[in-house]
Amino acid sequence: MSYFSMNRSNRPFNKKMQEKLVVLFLLVLLAFVGLSIKLISITRDNGERYKKQVLSQQQYESTIIPFKRGDILDSKGNKLATSEKVYNLIIDSKMMLRKEESLNATMSALNECFPGFPEADVRSYVSQNPGSQYYVALKQLSYDEISDFVDIQNDKAANPDVAGVWFEEEYKRIYPNNTLACDVIGFTGKDNVGSYGLEQFYNDTLNGTNGREYGYLSEGEMLERTVVSPVDGYNIVTTIDGNIQQIVEKYLYEFNEQYKNGARPGGNGANNVGCIIMDVNNGDVLAMGSYPNFDLNNPRDTSALLGSRFVNESGVIEYEANCITEENKDELLSDDAITYQNLNYLWKNFCISNTYEPGSVAKPFTVAAGLESGKMTGNEYYTCNGQLRVADHDIKCHNYKIGGDGTLSVQEAIEQSCNVALMLMGRQIGKTTYLEYQEKFGFGYKTNIDLSGESRTATLVFNSSNMGETELATSTFGQGYNVTMIQMIAAFSSLVNGGFYYEPHVVKRITAQDGSTVRNISPRVLKQTVSAATSAKIIQYCNGVVLNGTGKTARPAGYAIGGKTGTAETVPRDKRNYVLSFMGYAPADNPQIAIYVVVDRPNVVFQDDAKFATRIVRSILTEVLPYMNIYMTEELSDKEREELENLDITIKSSNLSDEETEEEGESADNEEDESIVDANGGDITSSTSPTAEEMQSDDVLTAPLTGTVLNTQTGEPVVEDKEDGPQ
Amino acid sequence: MARNSISRSKGYVDYTLIFIILLLLGFGLIMVYSTSSYSASMSSTLHNNPAFYLNKQAFATVFGLVAMAVVAMIPYQFWRRFAGMGYAVSAFLIILVLTPLGYEANGARRWLKIGISVQPAEIAKLAMILFLASLVCRLGNDIRTRNGFLLVLFSPAPICLMVWRITDNLSSAIIIFMIGYIMLFVASPEYKRFLIITVAAIAFAALVVLVVVHMADAGTFGYRGQRIRTWIDPEADASGGGFQTLQALYAIGSGGIFGKGIGQSTQKLGFLPEAQNDMIFSVICEELGLFGGICIIVLFLLLLWRLMIIASNARDEFGGLLVVGVMGHIAIQVILNVAVVTNVIPNTGISLPFISYGGSSVMFLLIELGLVFSVARSIDFAED
Repeated sequence: MSYFSMNRSNRPFNKKMQEKLVVLFLLVLLAFVGLSIKLISITRDNGERYKKQVLSQQQYESTIIPFKRGDILDSKGNKLATSEKVYNLIIDSKMMLRKEESLNATMSALNECFPGFPEADVRSYVSQNPGSQYYVALKQLSYDEISDFVDIQNDKAANPDVAGVWFEEEYKRIYPNNTLACDVIGFTGKDNVGSYGLEQFYNDTLNGTNGREYGYLSEGEMLERTVVSPVDGYNIVTTIDGNIQQIVEKYLYEFNEQYKNGARPGGNGANNVGCIIMDVNNGDVLAMGSYPNFDLNNPRDTSALLGSRFVNESGVIEYEANCITEENKDELLSDDAITYQNLNYLWKNFCISNTYEPGSVAKPFTVAAGLESGKMTGNEYYTCNGQLRVADHDIKCHNYKIGGDGTLSVQEAIEQSCNVALMLMGRQIGKTTYLEYQEKFGFGYKTNIDLSGESRTATLVFNSSNMGETELATSTFGQGYNVTMIQMIAAFSSLVNGGFYYEPHVVKRITAQDGSTVRNISPRVLKQTVSAATSAKIIQYCNGVVLNGTGKTARPAGYAIGGKTGTAETVPRDKRNYVLSFMGYAPADNPQIAIYVVVDRPNVVFQDDAKFATRIVRSILTEVLPYMNIYMTEELSDKEREELENLDITIKSSNLSDEETEEEGESADNEEDESIVDANGGDITSSTSPTAEEMQSDDVLTAPLTGTVLNTQTGEPVVEDKEDGPQ
Repeated sequence: MARNSISRSKGYVDYTLIFIILLLLGFGLIMVYSTSSYSASMSSTLHNNPAFYLNKQAFATVFGLVAMAVVAMIPYQFWRRFAGMGYAVSAFLIILVLTPLGYEANGARRWLKIGISVQPAEIAKLAMILFLASLVCRLGNDIRTRNGFLLVLFSPAPICLMVWRITDNLSSAIIIFMIGYIMLFVASPEYKRFLIITVAAIAFAALVVLVVVHMADAGTFGYRGQRIRTWIDPEADASGGGFQTLQALYAIGSGGIFGKGIGQSTQKLGFLPEAQNDMIFSVICEELGLFGGICIIVLFLLLLWRLMIIASNARDEFGGLLVVGVMGHIAIQVILNVAVVTNVIPNTGISLPFISYGGSSVMFLLIELGLVFSVARSIDFAED
């Protein structure tokens, strides 16, 4: 062949070479046989052991994939609580030490990416535990925080030595509004167990099921790998309106700012101040808040306790002790158990957990019982001489000093909050009927609101065996038995909505993570407490309270509302400590919402003034009613106009704005009246005569209460015949 | 029989060899996918694409097959004039690794990025086969002299040293040296010298091992000393240096006689590092058992047998020696790879020809086989 001829030294592949090639092949064959024998011997000698070894390595590969706890949303879909994915940085010493260079390379990468990385701790852990594969170096990092390091880890070509670090996923509970609605929401620890409020009540609904990635042995000892996906929890949509809630909490905070550090040095504006706003026509709780509050993202922060009353190791407030202040905090809270009791008290929802004597806000219930049972017609007149002899005691009216209210109609009795008239009504109604209606209104029973921590009050109300003549008399004006705020407002809503008692509730819908509805929770009418006619009468009387009586200061600009004030003496009856309240509704002619504000012992020297509560109500309603698009029906004075403008509130009127301009002249007249009163330095409205001013300051109990009072702690009757016997 | 059926002008085509090569390549792709899909799907840098390694390997395989066909069509004598140049070029390319053209992966600077990434060591193996075949032909009967013998024995040494010292790749250096040694063995009619050299080498290795084992501090010999200790007793350092070797042994041992079934390896799920690479044989044993492993060894034996037949029947000494070089290359890598996996020798990075993942390796092996086919084509049965 031609190309072979180019080659001069073209020797053939000779016999000797062929022979050596065969020898080479035989040597290779020998090597292959040797290796095959080695393979066989490995399998024969160590096969079973290695098989077990492989399986034991796999069994520990089971890992949990966490579920996402559901969100808590307000009625408009804003997040009140949510869960965010976070990452724990895990050190695998074994992997990190596999290559010599890894330790230093990984440490420098970690230092670069995580400011404040505890390098010394990790290094000493790795050197002391070279076999460990799980050490949590950093906790709950956000994705942004870890992304730099993840990039380094993924760039294997540039960083071949970074090893032995991985991230474990988990979820962290986040409360975007910190303190907002803290009592209602409650909080959740790392273990997805809710404490207090919705987090506890709906714990199972909010929680899902963890997923798991694991290996298992199938038939024939084959290892199968399976991933069971986690099932995320459901979201709950509440009836709480974040905006209304915010308005409520703003004024509760403002109240605290105004009165804190008063008669009780370093103390909050009041021991507690709470507010509930409810839709009277379906039992939806639109807002529920109290002060002092706490940060849901940091519930164990003891600085939230500053200003609170001190709670002892049994969980009872020590009224003798000073309030918790910066100075005495370390001393008072030196014990963990005591600190926990104090935090516990703070975490409790004042609106459903605390019980107290309601005071005169109970009067509409007494009247309703009389009218509905037919024991009263509503056309009666009662004469008040300042006190009434019941059993062996004289029970005084608040106007005792000026000789009583004189003769009053039922409406006037409510407007002026006359205790004598109410006691006379109580005699008319009788114990049996009175107790029958107490039960109807739900006093002594839980409302079963869907929040955790509602108090039982069964032992804190009277029954036929322990209610005597005196107890009946004091009960008519709300002293002697205990209630919770939610009981009062739920029952009161039925008085003003035509008699329908709705079960109060906070959650209206349960949705899946994709937004689809799992369950709608519709309003539940449990019973009819009074007839429509009685309801109309009660509305008429309560409108009078705000129009002519003790509740004038609760009326917001531009609206007519109704309601009832309360000034309840607390135990011990030392005439110094009071619970002030106002329970009302708006608008006056067609109640849509109910509002109830309770101020528990304001931090002032003279507490017996319901205006501590009515002013809060007025401030809240001034903003809430326009927000809810309820039309203004009342004329606005220039002063009120200015007030609304300062608050940036659009004036909403059902009348055309033209009409309003026409009526401007009239408003100016009103203003004149007002300015006269202003000169007197009070915010009390025009027609008040100076002498009546004292009376206006509400239904203060001036008589020593002699009847039995049920102890809030034990439910045992407490005899209060003797003065100064602190319980 | 064959001599009657195959016409001289068309040249001889070894279909058995083609079949064996395609079988090994196809099987290799399957095993690369089986061993790498899990780790590739777990890696976000690879976009969680389970076929990432398979795609790259398939591309290199197709490219290599085309190159093999082209080389097979070119008469092998054509390359003889480039023998010396090939030696120089491979030395130059190794030095290029030190320039910015070189790059590092898996902690060693062994690659060159010139359009595609290649390992100069792979080029050096091919160049060495060509160079030595040409050298032996030129020496003629001088190979019988001591000087001729030593010249052939040590001419690969400079390249080997460069591969070892510059690219820090002792295993490739050893392979290159042993290719030369095998070619010399076939070319030289001697036996005694080889026996002496082999025994001396084994004795030296045994001495090194003894010294390392009995020394208190293994640090003197660096990580290689540590590897020798690990080799003696891998379970003593199960989580450190012995990890890979032990996991490979676990894989082989747990496979049993017929294995867990293809794709069913558990060791590849993150336990056995580089499962698709140097340790692929242990996964073959785990999934297909002793039976599968020995089948692969038999397949390689068949391949080597075909190469021996072609070398024996080569038209000339140059062609024959080329085939012997290729045969030596494949034989050494198979033996060393299986020996590492079974812990017969200390752990060092040697891939299993045609099966392990690695584009450079499979491409240059196929080019070498192209030369073999070219030699086969020239076999003149009429003159045999």
